[in-house]
Amino acid sequence: MTLHKSRNEQLSSLRRLTNANLIFVSTLFLIALTSQSIHAQFIHPKIKSKETTVRNVVVLPAKVNVVRDSMKGPEGMAAESDELGVRIEKMIAEVLLKEKQITTQPPPSATATDGGSQQQYNVADFQTKFDDLLPKIFKKRSDVKKGRFSMGDEVLNLNLDKSVDAIVFIRGEGKKLTGGKTAFRLLVGGVPAHLKLQIGIVDARKGDVLVYTDPVLVGDPTTAVDRLRDALRKGFKKLPAASAK
Amino acid sequence: MFPRKLTTLIVAALCLCVVSTTFHPVAFAQKKKAPVEATPPPVNEEFKFGEVDLEILEQSDLLDHRLERDGLVLADDAANSYINRIGRSLVPKDLALERVSWRFRTLRDPQPNAFALPNGSIYVTTGLISLIDNETQLAAILAHELTHVMRRHTYLQNRSNRKKFLTMNIMSAVGSYAPLSLVGAVVMAVTTVAPFIMIATMYGYSRDLEREADLKGIDMMISAEYAPEEMVQVMKSLDKDIEGENIRLFYNDHPSLDERIKYLSNYLGARADKVTAQMELNREREAYFRNTSSVMRHNVQLAINGGRFRSAVYFAQRLVDFRPDSENLFWLAESYRTLGPRAQELTEKQLTNSAMKDAAKKREKRTTEEEERDLLATPAGKENWEQHQKKAEELYLRALATDSPVPVTHRGLGMLYEKLGRTNDAVAEYQKYIDMSPSAPDHERIQRRIESLGKP
Repeated sequence: MTLHKSRNEQLSSLRRLTNANLIFVSTLFLIALTSQSIHAQFIHPKIKSKETTVRNVVVLPAKVNVVRDSMKGPEGMAAESDELGVRIEKMIAEVLLKEKQITTQPPPSATATDGGSQQQYNVADFQTKFDDLLPKIFKKRSDVKKGRFSMGDEVLNLNLDKSVDAIVFIRGEGKKLTGGKTAFRLLVGGVPAHLKLQIGIVDARKGDVLVYTDPVLVGDPTTAVDRLRDALRKGFKKLPAASAK
Repeated sequence: MFPRKLTTLIVAALCLCVVSTTFHPVAFAQKKKAPVEATPPPVNEEFKFGEVDLEILEQSDLLDHRLERDGLVLADDAANSYINRIGRSLVPKDLALERVSWRFRTLRDPQPNAFALPNGSIYVTTGLISLIDNETQLAAILAHELTHVMRRHTYLQNRSNRKKFLTMNIMSAVGSYAPLSLVGAVVMAVTTVAPFIMIATMYGYSRDLEREADLKGIDMMISAEYAPEEMVQVMKSLDKDIEGENIRLFYNDHPSLDERIKYLSNYLGARADKVTAQMELNREREAYFRNTSSVMRHNVQLAINGGRFRSAVYFAQRLVDFRPDSENLFWLAESYRTLGPRAQELTEKQLTNSAMKDAAKKREKRTTEEEERDLLATPAGKENWEQHQKKAEELYLRALATDSPVPVTHRGLGMLYEKLGRTNDAVAEYQKYIDMSPSAPDHERIQRRIESLGKP
């Protein structure tokens, strides 16, 4: 009986120690995550060698999906995701212009004529093609630096303006936590509210993937506007400015 | 930390939690009854909308909008009205379901699939339309999806999943603060195993609903005077694994196709008292192909774009078998050209679960160009490549020899010759294409190819 009790006490202090360690590590992890956004970026050799310069881009509609994570599981946020997508497109255009002097043109849009749906299909098919290429890029992101990834000369079928040098593809996935889930996360641990972006800049003539960057921001993706802008700014840090010689 | 009685109570409560959320009354009811008796009435009339259901409904409307906005819905009026007619013929007359408005549409996706949103939107992919043989089979697919909407499956599953997620979260919270003792170990064990049981029950419930949709779909087909045995044929067509993708996973949200074929056949054995005459089905097939040929051709293009080259050959061959006109021959030629060094059909060995898993991993790593390069380095790949290029050339030339050849055939032939290193022939074919269709959307692309080939 005594042995049992004393053993229980030992185990209890060990548990307290383990819990304290766990809380410390989680807090550290939390601080590390919230204080800065994580970002990696990879640039094609043609950009590095200045053989290709990006001056004018078309930003294709962003595909962003944010869910609300509650104690009862994830819930869709389609309207908020669409809104966030538009905000990210605008922010990227802003950052590229302000930081890199790269101008942005509106994406090809469908008109009411017959050719309209064809153009809409073209854009949709290129978005799908990028989605197919994305896991391969993500598997070995550093290969962008070797010029390994391309979408082929089919990009010319988008019939963009002659002055357009590159096309920007944006993908995003995020999570917003409800009050209950936030409290639960503090008690038990788990993934914090975040937004993970995957952005590719593709040569508008040859289809080569010129830039790949995947900034991550920790925080509520629907409200953390400044942090999002900051993450995007850092995400394009290595991309040379259009005016650079 | 906790008095012994209290911990025992916690363990008992946790176990009760797992048991009560795991064994849903529906699951009990379905397991006890024979398949024939298990089919409930067509409409879930007892269903009352809650706040959570209305949220799901709102998300469904937004998804509809998103699919359309993103160019994923096929804007083929003829094909859409054909599907719409079949779909509406299956819906019981005078049926007015709360918050449902029926819409039957084609989704631009080469993967064979169909799905229903709880707001009444039913989507069938171009890949599935191309895979099946006749109108009755399309009716079988729509009947299955209609059941999901009529029986309010999405809402029920969402409600059930929410309960299970909540239980899982509570358990993990309790588990992480379990005392380090024997009772604590039991609590830990229960809370560690519980999520796996919960996930298994989520998938199990989903499989139950799929089974209900299959069986209820058959009843619906009979009511609309469609031959119900074609539902089994649909499952058999889906079982045709052209791309080696039907990987069996540990958790599956649908019953296996073998199982579905089996229980559907059993169900029909008692109910189907007549077998549709082959002649009647052949006539129906002809009408089906006439109505959906444009969708099927569109799907061949999507399959090529998506790297589903074997499917492209399979679907294009069906089109040529139906009508060997210039356009269909062109698509078959395109399919063979892009199939390149790949074998036309997967071997039995390649269709084993482990081989398919390996292939899926490779697909995630290698680009299409890298896959082709690797295959061309093998004798079999080289032989396939030569054979397929030859077949493609023959088909392009056949397409050009028809009464009204499609100009795009010259482009395909140009690409083939370019790959074969016949530069002059390639330039000549590209030039013919540009001359014949000066306003083609890929005009600039082909012009650039001519220029780059013309360079010394």
